[in-house]
Amino acid sequence: MIIAERKPMEEIKQLIVPYRKVLVAGCGTCVAVCWAGGEKEVGILASQLRLARSVERNEISILEATVERQCEREMVAEIKDKVAEAEAVISLACGSGVQTMAEMFEDKPVFPGVNTTFIGMPEREGLWVEMCGACGDCFLDRTGGVCPIVRCAKGLLNGPCGGTRKGGKCEIDPEKDCAWVLIYRRLEKQGRLDLMRNYYAPKNYRAVKRPGKVQAAKA
Amino acid sequence: METKIGVFLCNCGEAIKNIDFDAAVKEIAKFPGVTCVNLSSDLCLEEGKKKMISCIREENLERVVVAACSPEFHEHAFGEVLEKAGLNGRLLSMANIREQCSWAHDGDVTGKAVELVKMAVNRVRLLQPMEMKELPVNNEVLVVGGGFSAINTALQLSRVGLRTTLLEKEAALGTGTEELESLCGFDTSSMVSAVEADKNIKVLTSARVMEVDGKIGDFSVRIRQEGGEILRKYGAIVLATGHQTELALDCELKLGLSIVSQEEFCRMLGNPSLETEPKTIGFIFDFCDENSRFPTLATLNNALAAKRRWGSEVYVFYKSVKVDSEGAEILYQEARDCGVVFLKSEVPPRIDVDNGQVKIKAKDVFLGEDIILVCDVLVAEELHLPTEETANLSSLLNIRRDSRGFCQEENVHLYPVASEKKGIFFVGGCRGDLDLGRVLTDISSVVMNVYELLSSGKILVEAEKVEADPQKCVACLTCIRVCPHGAIQLVRINGGKEVAGISDLACYACGICAAICPAKAINFQSYRDEEILAQIEAI
Amino acid sequence: MRIMNGHIVAFCCEHSAYPAADSAGRLGLHYPENVRVIRVPCAGRVDLIHILKAFENGAAAVLVMGCEDGACHHITGNTRAKERVKYSEILLKEVNIDGGRVRMFNLSPNAPHKFVRAVNEMTRITKESGR
Repeated sequence: MIIAERKPMEEIKQLIVPYRKVLVAGCGTCVAVCWAGGEKEVGILASQLRLARSVERNEISILEATVERQCEREMVAEIKDKVAEAEAVISLACGSGVQTMAEMFEDKPVFPGVNTTFIGMPEREGLWVEMCGACGDCFLDRTGGVCPIVRCAKGLLNGPCGGTRKGGKCEIDPEKDCAWVLIYRRLEKQGRLDLMRNYYAPKNYRAVKRPGKVQAAKA
Repeated sequence: METKIGVFLCNCGEAIKNIDFDAAVKEIAKFPGVTCVNLSSDLCLEEGKKKMISCIREENLERVVVAACSPEFHEHAFGEVLEKAGLNGRLLSMANIREQCSWAHDGDVTGKAVELVKMAVNRVRLLQPMEMKELPVNNEVLVVGGGFSAINTALQLSRVGLRTTLLEKEAALGTGTEELESLCGFDTSSMVSAVEADKNIKVLTSARVMEVDGKIGDFSVRIRQEGGEILRKYGAIVLATGHQTELALDCELKLGLSIVSQEEFCRMLGNPSLETEPKTIGFIFDFCDENSRFPTLATLNNALAAKRRWGSEVYVFYKSVKVDSEGAEILYQEARDCGVVFLKSEVPPRIDVDNGQVKIKAKDVFLGEDIILVCDVLVAEELHLPTEETANLSSLLNIRRDSRGFCQEENVHLYPVASEKKGIFFVGGCRGDLDLGRVLTDISSVVMNVYELLSSGKILVEAEKVEADPQKCVACLTCIRVCPHGAIQLVRINGGKEVAGISDLACYACGICAAICPAKAINFQSYRDEEILAQIEAI
Repeated sequence: MRIMNGHIVAFCCEHSAYPAADSAGRLGLHYPENVRVIRVPCAGRVDLIHILKAFENGAAAVLVMGCEDGACHHITGNTRAKERVKYSEILLKEVNIDGGRVRMFNLSPNAPHKFVRAVNEMTRITKESGR
């Protein structure tokens, strides 16, 4: 899922300096699961902002709302009254959600409250790691399910680089596992090591035009 | 329509002196929703309770606040009063105006008392009724093990009418109990016969537990025997997987005629045709392992027995003699009176073997000198360790073990035979440092616990006390991973969607899941966020 | 919004701090009367929003009290509470409120003097702290 991280408090406080009534809008999907922008985080940020402005003797009214998925117009429409009430909105959703809200309420300043970082999964409780680079041309079939584009520091398609440290650690970042060691071991378990002999041509990064578009064949 | 709330204050037979109740009543009557405020001096007694019941009925109260002593005493009883008055017993909140107000502060505490009542009123307004539900449970018990503890647990369970399966990995029951037998004087073979004759007990030998699923009242256990595998269901599981002993000796020194274990020594004592009676005997214990109840008893017993049977010179090297087991102190006195010599030292003695004789060298703390003892037989120090079975089974059941690898009690003082998962108990050597007296108590404890849980075939629980709202749950698995009692699993609901399902039977109502759920999907009745925040807002 | 009203909110776990507070009363051990105890089934039930809301509501300090290390009735509850309290210190500092105003205390039910000591400690901190 999409992993995001709350922006530094100073940055958020700066965004709402001129306002006296602000809505903090959360999303109940990816950002909720990675503890960055769900209903709970909305409550916490709202509480902090009220306290901050109270200490500064510049009170502010903070409204709170969370929709299940902030990138769906129908769901965002459910909170249109609260948006109308506020002077500005801090969205804790990923960039997709922020932009959906901004598009639906064009006259209202919508600010991002989190930084959208990557597509990843929980390695353990509270720790999310990047897994997918959304390159648009997935070749996980020939790497035993390990993506070297994001998990190899050099993004090599025909690894390893030869600088792998002892214990299978990355030359650049000794805390990281060398992705190509992981690939090797995976292919070994599956009896498909022959794939390592293949040479793969440089990737066509133009496979993903920006902004990307996917049109489903059926209605 | 505002919820009708009744507030009942008590001055606890006038033990609460520094609260101005008249002023308090006036303030409390102003709180939104409060339709009646009563002052009593004996709410917890029959008269007080009767008045409360009439008031609830007459005023058609929907929620009740009791401002009196600590809820730790009478919350349950007041809940029953509500039930008698026709109101759900959970629609009650208490304000502790005695221990945590009147008795804790100097001067006038009326202000605080009123605020505590306000907090309770705010909370009680939000409380929801809770139903009790009877859930059926399987009332068969699985006891894993085949030694003294396992056999006796099974026998006692049978006596209270519960069907038990005794599961032993060896080919026969009663292996490994010789040392215990000679020390405590019971007869393994007659115990085994009793088990085999008991209609309530099924014995499975050469059997191992391969997998355990489910929760209290409904454990599914996959058992492997010689012929194949079987699947059985049980309501509770008792681990009686014992302990093992290992000699604390340098690997160079070999066991033989001169260096023996306690068990070996017992056999020597009991052997009528022993070739030579040892003239000088040395014992070593309590140096390598602080948890030495059993070795202490074994040493004292065997030292005394050797003195009495053979009249040998007996020397005991020790770090400290811990006599907390019942009868241990007397045994120690007897041994000294009998002439057993006790030598205290700080560090483990040095052991050498020289021409078939054992030489022990230690620095005696009191003499301040080295003592060298040449003896015919040395009974070496033994470490009491957990068995592999304990490790395996704990892993399968996902229950914790302590730092030495023995089963970890849920609470050393209050729940010494229970694991942190309901329905899983342990008894005997697998609990660690025990003596016979404690083992017998533990067995009775476990039997009582299991009987209480399973005998009626159903368990009364608070229905959906902690529940994950399937609408809000996104199956992020956080609560499942975090629950310390293993009470939450992924369940499939009507539409095929998978959500977190909290077992009413296995849940301990701690609220850890409710706090951590990123989607605020877990409803913990009586301790929901709203109910906690309402108290904060009242201050 | 009131700030630093002078009252202290104490979240007390029903297995340790709550009975300890009761004991203090029974033994006549006195402590400042501006403490408001909120009973919870486990310190692990206390969440960040509860702590922050307490401050929003004007608390001068917040205490989270649970079982001694290694003795949590629910095994991991007190550890989780400790982590949350540490994080809430950061959240408070972010808005210029002294992180020392929120603290976790561990005690057992038979330690009423520890309860009293914790309350006295927090009262002293709130008096000394500017913000």
